[in-house]
Amino acid sequence: MSTASHDDVVGRYVRVEVEGAEYDVFYLEAGQGQPLVCQHTAGCHNHQWRELLRDPDITSRYRVIAYDLPRHGKSDPPNNTEWWTSEYRLTTDHFTGFVVAFCDALALDEPIFMGSSFGGNVALDLAHRRPDRFHAVIPVEGADHAPGFYLDWWQHPHANAAQVSASGTWDLMAPQSPLADRWKTWFYYTQGSEAFRGDLYYYSVDHDLRGRLGEIDTDRCPVVMLTGEYDYLTTPEDGRRTADGIPGAEFLEMSEIGHFPMSENYPRFKPYLEQALEMIARKTGTDTHAAG
Amino acid sequence: MSSAGATTAAERFRELSDGDPEIQAHGQHFSCSYLLDMIEHRFLVRMHRGKVEELVTDPGPLEPYDFAIRAGRETWEGFCSEVPPPMCHGIWSATFQRDMTLEGNHLVIMQNLRVLTRQLELLRITGPLG
Repeated sequence: MSTASHDDVVGRYVRVEVEGAEYDVFYLEAGQGQPLVCQHTAGCHNHQWRELLRDPDITSRYRVIAYDLPRHGKSDPPNNTEWWTSEYRLTTDHFTGFVVAFCDALALDEPIFMGSSFGGNVALDLAHRRPDRFHAVIPVEGADHAPGFYLDWWQHPHANAAQVSASGTWDLMAPQSPLADRWKTWFYYTQGSEAFRGDLYYYSVDHDLRGRLGEIDTDRCPVVMLTGEYDYLTTPEDGRRTADGIPGAEFLEMSEIGHFPMSENYPRFKPYLEQALEMIARKTGTDTHAAG
Repeated sequence: MSSAGATTAAERFRELSDGDPEIQAHGQHFSCSYLLDMIEHRFLVRMHRGKVEELVTDPGPLEPYDFAIRAGRETWEGFCSEVPPPMCHGIWSATFQRDMTLEGNHLVIMQNLRVLTRQLELLRITGPLG
């Protein structure tokens, strides 16, 4: 008899088509209940959500699904294009289209979407474009506009792109976060440098909701924003300003944590996430304790 | 701060760097020179294969270096504290959000970013060099 100690997280692939591109998308999932769809940060992969996926306080109430965006982790670039002949630049259209197509492929009903960094920005874009498709969104470290990180250094041929991407994001984490978790996050970043710069085209250039935040309807799709005090890219001021521009949006500043809260210090992040989920449940009248 | 005090903190920085397991494990190609333009003094750090070859306090005007890190007193004091406050906690955060500047050859910074980041965090132990 096997004595292996398995947890309940499982990984699968699903075929997703968006804007003519065909992807085999890898995702991890655990739990039962309302879908909680999780997007990793730019140039990274779904292991940033490793502790959330294994947290019974959450998975007893939510079906947590953390996918690898195409070109990240175990999700390859498109199957049906010569992707190596063009420069990768992620756009708002493609990113939002992908998330919706992924949720459709899994036939998810009333999913809550949560993403960090460029995932936080796309959460705002999803609330803006497709409030009909999402129960609510939790933009983590997101903002209406996040300029300044679409840099050539991420792929400069005279430097080690893996280390530049990983150490270039080191300061995005709080010094209080456990060293082992910061190093895991660093390690993930060494694996994603090829996509990082193209992801940041979306993050710092194509994503721009300035002047349009008021169009987000939080009665249809509630928005609860979370931002860490050590995030120098999308600062708490950026998050608060963005939330203030969205009628009905909520904003929580997280102390002693940075730009990768779920990955750099999940125990610190967890109470803020639970507070956000409670806010959504109250606003939408859903009972998140039913499955617990 | 007196020059003697500055020398003490600088020597401590040198000892910590040369004995740091991370720098010694990954710094075999860490060879460059840079200037820390601190509160009262400037410090020229010459690195060779992961070791501090020379640490010069207030170098002369024609001493060459690859890049310089400059900031005001408040930023350096935050940067060099045991638990730096938000936005003082690294060269990226302090250049994006505070008055720190990175001058000179940025390519050398990027080529050595991993170990340089670690080395600069040793300032959290020594405090400002001076």
